[in-house]
Amino acid sequence: MDIENSPRAGMWLARVAVPAPGASALPPVQPEAVAPAAAEVRVKVDIRDVDFFYGKTQALKNINMSLRDRRVTAFIGPSGCGKSTLLRIVNRIYELYPNQTATGEVLVDGQNILASTFDLNAVRSKIGMVFQRPTPFPMSIYDNIAFGIRLYEKLPTSEMDNRVESALRRTALWDEVKDKLRQSGLSLSGGQQQRLCIARAIAVQPEVLLLDEPASALDPISTQRIEELIAELRPDYCIVIVTHNMQQAARCSDYTAFMYLGELIEFDETERMFTHPREKRTEDYITGRFG
Amino acid sequence: MTEQAIAASATPRPGAGSRKLRQAERVGSAIFVGMLRGSCWLFLLIVLGLAAELIWGARLSLRKFGIGFLWSTQWNPVTEQFGAAPFIYGTVVTSVIALALAAIVGVMAAIYLAEFAPRRVGAYLGLLIELLAAVPSIVYGLWGLFVLAPIVANWIGPALQSVLGFLPFFQGTIYGVNVLTAAFILTLMIIPTITAITRDLIVAIPMRFREAALALGATPWEMAVKVVLPSVRRGIIGASMLAFGRALGETIAATMVIGNRPVISASLFAPGYTIASVIANEFTEATSDLYLSALIELGLILLVVSILVIGMGRLMVRLLIR
Amino acid sequence: MSATSAAALFRRRRLKSVLWIGACGIFATAVAVILLLIMGYIVREGISAISIPFLTRLPRPTGISGGGVANGIVGTLIIVGIAALMAFPVGVLVGTYVAVYGHRRMSQWLSFLADVLAGVPSIAIGIYAYTLLVEPFRHFSAFSASFAFAVLMIPLVIRATEGAISIVPRELREAATALGAPEARVVLKILVVAARPGIITGLLLSLARVTGETAPLLFTAFGSQYWELRPGQPMAELSLQIFTYAISPYADWHAQAWGGALILILAVFVLSVLARLSVLFGREGRGHGGTA
Repeated sequence: MDIENSPRAGMWLARVAVPAPGASALPPVQPEAVAPAAAEVRVKVDIRDVDFFYGKTQALKNINMSLRDRRVTAFIGPSGCGKSTLLRIVNRIYELYPNQTATGEVLVDGQNILASTFDLNAVRSKIGMVFQRPTPFPMSIYDNIAFGIRLYEKLPTSEMDNRVESALRRTALWDEVKDKLRQSGLSLSGGQQQRLCIARAIAVQPEVLLLDEPASALDPISTQRIEELIAELRPDYCIVIVTHNMQQAARCSDYTAFMYLGELIEFDETERMFTHPREKRTEDYITGRFG
Repeated sequence: MTEQAIAASATPRPGAGSRKLRQAERVGSAIFVGMLRGSCWLFLLIVLGLAAELIWGARLSLRKFGIGFLWSTQWNPVTEQFGAAPFIYGTVVTSVIALALAAIVGVMAAIYLAEFAPRRVGAYLGLLIELLAAVPSIVYGLWGLFVLAPIVANWIGPALQSVLGFLPFFQGTIYGVNVLTAAFILTLMIIPTITAITRDLIVAIPMRFREAALALGATPWEMAVKVVLPSVRRGIIGASMLAFGRALGETIAATMVIGNRPVISASLFAPGYTIASVIANEFTEATSDLYLSALIELGLILLVVSILVIGMGRLMVRLLIR
Repeated sequence: MSATSAAALFRRRRLKSVLWIGACGIFATAVAVILLLIMGYIVREGISAISIPFLTRLPRPTGISGGGVANGIVGTLIIVGIAALMAFPVGVLVGTYVAVYGHRRMSQWLSFLADVLAGVPSIAIGIYAYTLLVEPFRHFSAFSASFAFAVLMIPLVIRATEGAISIVPRELREAATALGAPEARVVLKILVVAARPGIITGLLLSLARVTGETAPLLFTAFGSQYWELRPGQPMAELSLQIFTYAISPYADWHAQAWGGALILILAVFVLSVLARLSVLFGREGRGHGGTA
């Protein structure tokens, strides 16, 4: 998978090195994101000394990283490097599997959500997640969106309608589905399903959005819409996106973390990482010289 | 298509030998296709023969009693008055109770085995329950007659009567062999079917749907009931209809524990009779043609009902697609 | 304020979750325990009844000890064996037809009829065998029982064959056809061979299904107290003997019924386990074939 991407990464690098006119067609990276002053952007999620184990195999080694609010952070790296694993720690979804354990601290707004005393529902109401392949529930489009809201709030019908509509508008899905809200979510196309899942996640009004390779199963046009959507949502959320597509990381993110063999190799502003990587391994990966 | 394929294979190597080969191949092919066709017609003949034989066998009774056979409560071989109502009643009551109990318990057990039990426990118990689905009904009947019937008469019956005795279903003398015991035995027989099928279906649901539900903040139970179960509801309906059909047609186990008395009684503690068990008990004793014909008509009713149940199951599954 | 009410809501939902899961666990355990108790009871009662004479002797009148069910065991083997000889070829051929020509309307009808026939109560099929093969000849026969069993088995074999063939990768069939192999050869040598483990599983499961069946035997095989090996005559059968013994008022016959039930369960379990193993070994075999 990643080997396939490598040549494209090289092409991308060529494009960045010479600020190409074609780059303007890409979703714009906001000017302040190019060189954010560290003081301006609040740290939303602070990952401290995190280790992770599948059974006895250590999959993550001493990860430290700060994810900033109202910014997009991308995790990149070859398959099996632990980027998805790290994402799955932030909302503790890994706990579904009894043999997986995480140690260390993940502070969300200063509170350690890994603490066993911390309320799991509270964690997940604050942190939305979207998966690699679309996961529409076997119910109507409307009920898919309402599902999450109903878990936390009892709303009168009119208010629920508004919430569903605004979530669907936010994901630019409203015009496509407004006449078939009662149809099954499974009747949508793959790209629409994925946007439905994003709408479902933001309907709960989370503060952090975790996107686990949200476009890897989609066609190029659907991928572009998802990327536009990320740019659209950026001002209101702390967004983390895992991707094995380096162009995508470059297009969508303000910060990039490069991971390799369970370690965080380099974490920096996206612009700088892709033009002046500090680490040799980062450079090798983004220029496609990786085995 | 066959001949084109043969021709294509033969063209590169012309010659007498290959022509002979081609001939043999063609004859073999024709024989094989003929066998396929023939067996299909034979199968159709067998199925249609089933319906035809039962209708033909029931003709005397059909002519004599007409549609009134269905609601007449008389069953008197001496006066040759025959009606199916007591048997239909006993069959429906036992099967509906069995389905209701088995669907609730069976599906909940399947949820536990597939979602929440430790993985190895779930797998072993699932396999065990699958094996138990194949246990012959005579075995359940034997156990029901010698073990369950006394338990119902001495423990379960009195307990139910003391709590729910104000209801007509739980009044009167408590017999050991009665409608309730039959319903319990049928329940035990169909639970493995429902649990095994439901568990298989649940296990096949991809993990990412569970993760998506949990990531939204659903509790494990909400995940199981609102996301996982709806995904397999069509399969569960199919399994339930299969189990219902089995309960309706179950003969031996029901015959052994229901008490075999052709009366309609509100009390579940009274003996009853099912369609299948009256056929089993009286078929070889039927002394007159009309008597035998009435029993065959009961078999015809059973056939029609089982086809209706299968059709209903298919229809419900289709309606759920939307 | 809202934070505490949210926390209370979370607590309520979690409590509900735990309670319901607990209820499911109790049901699952109860089902397993009750079914195991039933099996345990039958093993306990059955073992004390099983002995060498029980397995090798003919039944004796009640009150005279030392009777056995040998004729019933042999009768079961004969009746089920003849049924298999009738049902296997028809079922496999029809299943093959349905899988290979699945697009034809005829196939869809056959498939539907197989579903319906699989759901028809065995007692109704017993009546069918009676009116077709007993009434015209004026006497009961083992062969009529075999016919009833075959009708019970055919839909199971059809569905197993159809399922096993339809999961053979389409490319396999296309590749063979592209080589110029005639259709009959493709079907026989490629599809049926590749589907063999699934078909064998279906055959074994259909055997397990009828081995425990009693209802249609009541007025077809009828039962017998003697050695009877001719299929044209009434014949003893194990599950029929259990039924007769169980509803009798005699304690020594009851004991024999438990013994017979245990033998029956063992036979059905062995068939079910073999069915499972055949899929397992079949998969391995196919794996080797792939690498060779």
